[in-house]
Amino acid sequence: MDGGWRGDDLVEIMIFGGGYEGGRLGRGNISLSLPFSCLVFHLASTLRLYLTCIRNTLDAAMCLQNFPCQEVERHNKPEVELKTSPELLLNPVLICRNEAEKCLIETSINSLRISLKVKQADELENILTKKFLRFLSMRAEAFQVLRRKPVQGYDISFLITNYHCEDMQKHKLIDFIVQFMEDIDKEISELKMSVNTRGRLVATEFLKQFI
Amino acid sequence: MKKTRTACFERASPALKQILLQLYCADKPLEVEHNLHEFGSLQYHIQSYATEPHHAYLSISTPVLSTSSSIIYGFSRPNLQTVKKICREVVEIIEPARAGYQLTLKIDFTKIPRKRDAEKIITDISSVQAAILSSQLKQILTTVSTQEITEGAYKPIKLVYHPNEPFYVVKQPTKLTAVFPIRLKEDSDVVIAKAFFQELVDVGRSGVCPKAPSCYWSPIPPPELRGESMKDLSTNGGFVSFDIFARHVHGKKLDKTVWNLLNFNALVKYHVKCTKGFVQRRMRSRLDSLVEQTAGSAAHKQGRWSTYRKS
Repeated sequence: MDGGWRGDDLVEIMIFGGGYEGGRLGRGNISLSLPFSCLVFHLASTLRLYLTCIRNTLDAAMCLQNFPCQEVERHNKPEVELKTSPELLLNPVLICRNEAEKCLIETSINSLRISLKVKQADELENILTKKFLRFLSMRAEAFQVLRRKPVQGYDISFLITNYHCEDMQKHKLIDFIVQFMEDIDKEISELKMSVNTRGRLVATEFLKQFI
Repeated sequence: MKKTRTACFERASPALKQILLQLYCADKPLEVEHNLHEFGSLQYHIQSYATEPHHAYLSISTPVLSTSSSIIYGFSRPNLQTVKKICREVVEIIEPARAGYQLTLKIDFTKIPRKRDAEKIITDISSVQAAILSSQLKQILTTVSTQEITEGAYKPIKLVYHPNEPFYVVKQPTKLTAVFPIRLKEDSDVVIAKAFFQELVDVGRSGVCPKAPSCYWSPIPPPELRGESMKDLSTNGGFVSFDIFARHVHGKKLDKTVWNLLNFNALVKYHVKCTKGFVQRRMRSRLDSLVEQTAGSAAHKQGRWSTYRKS
């Protein structure tokens, strides 16, 4: 790995087909408290590599601890949302599968925010994705870690705090996030197929009326 | 999968048919009054009196199919002739019609020949609105020859059945082309409708229904509508066209074809509504499975802690 970035620059991690080039994205090679090296790979691989990268990043990023608010007494706020104390924030990581699909992981001392942009190949997938993710976001309390409103530029966001890490198992939480991403893709594809199938059946019945 | 028919394909009103069958099968005279409101500002009023057994009065108020240049109030003589042809012995036109309605019919159940034919006759009576509309469209098309603009080409006829949902019929030498400008309220409705139109075109081309009219979709007005007003040609769902040939209007098929075309807009809206409902149901069922996964993450931790505390 080379000298890499310094400061608050966003680190872009893209995946080449067939594996990682140069650096390794294992647990021991990412330190969120230090400036990141710039690892650039070409995106050509399957969903699996993308999800593995996200999983490993979350595994490294989900080291949260309780930290009372420095500005207001007896308050405890997720610092990743406020962003008022730069020393409490770590460098965000943007993982891009392609231009349409990406994952932004923003970490602070006591909270972690994950924002996802889901692929939308056409208008129908676009509206189905919007409807479905808005449906889930409106019921965020059922998921506990889901944010009611996605971060701007993304389709859905999660907010994980140190309290969630105390109540839930870390690896299960990461499994849930990764599984959620897979399920969303699968559900949108199935919904699209069902809508088209229904349309075809109705069209066939309508045209049969003329015969 | 159980096959169900969409109500808008049925020419006979299901609710009206059920009420008339109940009156026909009743053992003793019934005194009933029903007001039915159906899609497209259609209203029925059914009344029977205990003092008049075996008789029922059916009043109808329906939007009249008209062209943009002529506004028709009530039913013309040819329309009434069509109504009279429906079960001539059983149905009698009462004049004047009941207040607020365009037509009132007196139905004599004693004149219905046999129980076996009763359902067919009552179905025909329940289809009176479809018969009126078919008659109106035939009447309009027979006057089209006066609007010929060039040899073999005719001016498009704008037909208004539902308010704000006009459609066009263009008569050509070998066929009729029906063009539907599609306007929908929401952007998501437009996307679902476009997906449906794509399937409609694909099914038409695939050979599944080779004898069905050819169907086309275009985001811009077709050439046949050149010269029409911009207000009528401004749409968000594009234009759907059907080519109707002689085989589609021959004999009894004419009424079916006319009915299907008149209800095309209603079908599109119904399909969009049902699709949105289906998507909503699917999302709800998926929500439960996704929430279970979150609960699983919490349950494991709580389980571990309770074991730790016990020990």
